[in-house]
Amino acid sequence: MKNKIIMFWAIVLIAIASIFVICTKPTKLGLDLAGGSRLVLEAQTTKAIPQITDDVMNTLQFSIENRVNKLGVSETVVQRVGENRLMVEIPGETDLQKAKTYIGETAQLEFKKPGTDANGNRIWLDADLTGRDLTKSQLTTDSSGQWVVSLEFNSEGSKKFAELTKALVGQEMAIFFNGDLQSAPRVNEAIYGGHAQITGGGDSGFSMEEAQEMVNLLNAGALPVPAKIVEENTVGATLGSDSIAKSKFAGIIGLGFVMLFMIFMYRAPGVIADIALILYSLMLFALFKAIPVTLTLAGIAGFILSIGMAVDANILIFERMKEELRAGRNLFTAINSGFDRAWTSILDSNMTTIIACLILYYFGSSVVKGFALTLAMGVIISMFSAITITKNFMHLIFGTGELKYPALFGLKKSEIGKAYEATETKRENARFGILD
Amino acid sequence: MTANEITSRNLINIVKYKFVWLCVTAILLLPGTLGLIYGAVKNHSPLKVGIDYTGGTILQYGVQEDIANQELATLRTELAKAGIDNPNIQIIHANAENQKTNVNLKNIISIRTKFISEETNTENKITQVIAKAHPNSELMSVTSVGPTLGKELFKKSSMALIVAILGMVIYLTIRFKFTYALAAILGLCHDTLFVCGVFALLGIFCGVEVDSLFITAILTLIGFSINDTIVTFDRIRENLRYYSKKMSFGEIVNASVNQTLTRSINTSFSTLITLLALYFFGGVTTRDFVLAMIIGVIVGTWSSIFFCTVLVSIWEDKDSKKLAKAKAL
Repeated sequence: MKNKIIMFWAIVLIAIASIFVICTKPTKLGLDLAGGSRLVLEAQTTKAIPQITDDVMNTLQFSIENRVNKLGVSETVVQRVGENRLMVEIPGETDLQKAKTYIGETAQLEFKKPGTDANGNRIWLDADLTGRDLTKSQLTTDSSGQWVVSLEFNSEGSKKFAELTKALVGQEMAIFFNGDLQSAPRVNEAIYGGHAQITGGGDSGFSMEEAQEMVNLLNAGALPVPAKIVEENTVGATLGSDSIAKSKFAGIIGLGFVMLFMIFMYRAPGVIADIALILYSLMLFALFKAIPVTLTLAGIAGFILSIGMAVDANILIFERMKEELRAGRNLFTAINSGFDRAWTSILDSNMTTIIACLILYYFGSSVVKGFALTLAMGVIISMFSAITITKNFMHLIFGTGELKYPALFGLKKSEIGKAYEATETKRENARFGILD
Repeated sequence: MTANEITSRNLINIVKYKFVWLCVTAILLLPGTLGLIYGAVKNHSPLKVGIDYTGGTILQYGVQEDIANQELATLRTELAKAGIDNPNIQIIHANAENQKTNVNLKNIISIRTKFISEETNTENKITQVIAKAHPNSELMSVTSVGPTLGKELFKKSSMALIVAILGMVIYLTIRFKFTYALAAILGLCHDTLFVCGVFALLGIFCGVEVDSLFITAILTLIGFSINDTIVTFDRIRENLRYYSKKMSFGEIVNASVNQTLTRSINTSFSTLITLLALYFFGGVTTRDFVLAMIIGVIVGTWSSIFFCTVLVSIWEDKDSKKLAKAKAL
């Protein structure tokens, strides 16, 4: 009895801690609930980089992260998916068009030299000098007051730039940004020292925004390879809040009916199971917030299924208890053997679910992962709540007493002692507390 | 105590009518299977799959007004004028007035096109067309999947499913017996086939498409159904321990199914309550997903009572007969 009272207070303590966590910590909502965008970028091979290696992907991830951070949105995620893809998550409502151009822009700065193709047409040839040879760029104005992007090369870049300008004295040198010709100034003399400027083409030059964006992109680091958006998923905040409001409403109604059903079917134990169910929901929700687990629609599905399984464990136990009571056992024995015999069913069915969840989590796509994680956590917590909490409360309330009021368990007096009777081994007798 | 006592409360005779149950199962599976075959032959895909698997773009606009059916045709021609080939337009009724949500959302216009790549301006064109008809509309969600990615996702999901099933077979073989594991897995196949069949029919007759949430629904019902089956098997295992000398295998299976019957029905019922609440009061975006789960829970209960146990009773009875013969010789 003493152990049971300690256990009771432990359960109370856990419940209080759970409520505390729920009240203080924010819920981390997935993009499908909170609204936001998810983009999947695929690295494209180029002539210079014919194969996407781990190194290339790491650099790509680093520069994409840099750019995403520049958007000024908190909790963005850049994650590597598979061999050559990156998943970018931008929560909240943002200007997606801007985000997309920002992320997708390759920021490839190229210097080119003039030449002719086979037909004698003028074309621009690669000069082996790109944005990768830069250390930084800055927004400044030139002597005539126009916005220009000033560039600073690293040591190798300075050397290359000096050689290129030396070779091109008297000719034009072209500066391409993302494949667009920005300007083609005439080179008057070789430029040493590793500094250069890009002025906009035309009379008016760059607008300030244009120049600033170019500087940002260049400073965020050039993408080592171009990245193409292969998947896009945007959920507006309206749809997200609509989903949350409705799921909440539906969840509460569903849970309410399940609780009524339990009381109707199992009477007094049903009430205890309902309390255990509420504690279970509190604990699981607190755990989601504490870890934190990102809640998505699929995650909510896992959560609902795990509620089903938590109820299932109690239904198994109570059905078993009813059988034992019908067989004429006293209450203490019936409670013990009900729990004990239902245990193998609960263990095997939940273990199978957990195994499946582990595998799905390891192999599945992101939607499946969210589902597997919440379900597995739910199943583990439900084993604790359905068994430890319910059993503890049952013993504390009914003690070792005889079954005086069968109606409390949804049984008729006439049923008692008339039904199936299990045969126990001696060891089981000892465990259930049966005295012959 | 006699063996008769545990069979006294039997409501369903599983073993005696085992071929009847198998036939009923087969008949129930038939329409859906035909639907799947029809889809496979006609559209080269048993299920009408959404852009998650084929690639494409779906734009959803929230509208605050009612939308008349003839408006769809107008929208279609308007979109065609704007240079969008063959758009698939659907109206989803959000029924927001029944809900206690603060969002004034009546209908969702869902437009599906070929994959819109980032270079083109197609998205803006469509938004302009919609904005002309409904000035208050709001672009609520954009889903776009590249053509190659869809196939990969499908491959990956199927892989995960197969490995998960293998894992379950191994665990069940260790805890029970290989025949039990096999029966449980065949039960899962039955449930999956049935739900896919229903969605194939829904695809043919109502244009319902399956998306990546559908895979989650299948996973959920697999988790649910295996639970149900294992509880029944666990009872067979327990009864075998106590009564295997007094009763035939068939009688034990019968008794076990009937002992767990109340539990199976009660559990399914309580899960159904939650699902029905989600179906009627939950968001529109998850409605098909919940429908798949509702069907799954019902067939999952059916299969664990009338299909898996029947398989076990057929296989195991043969084994015990063989054993008896061997002993007699």
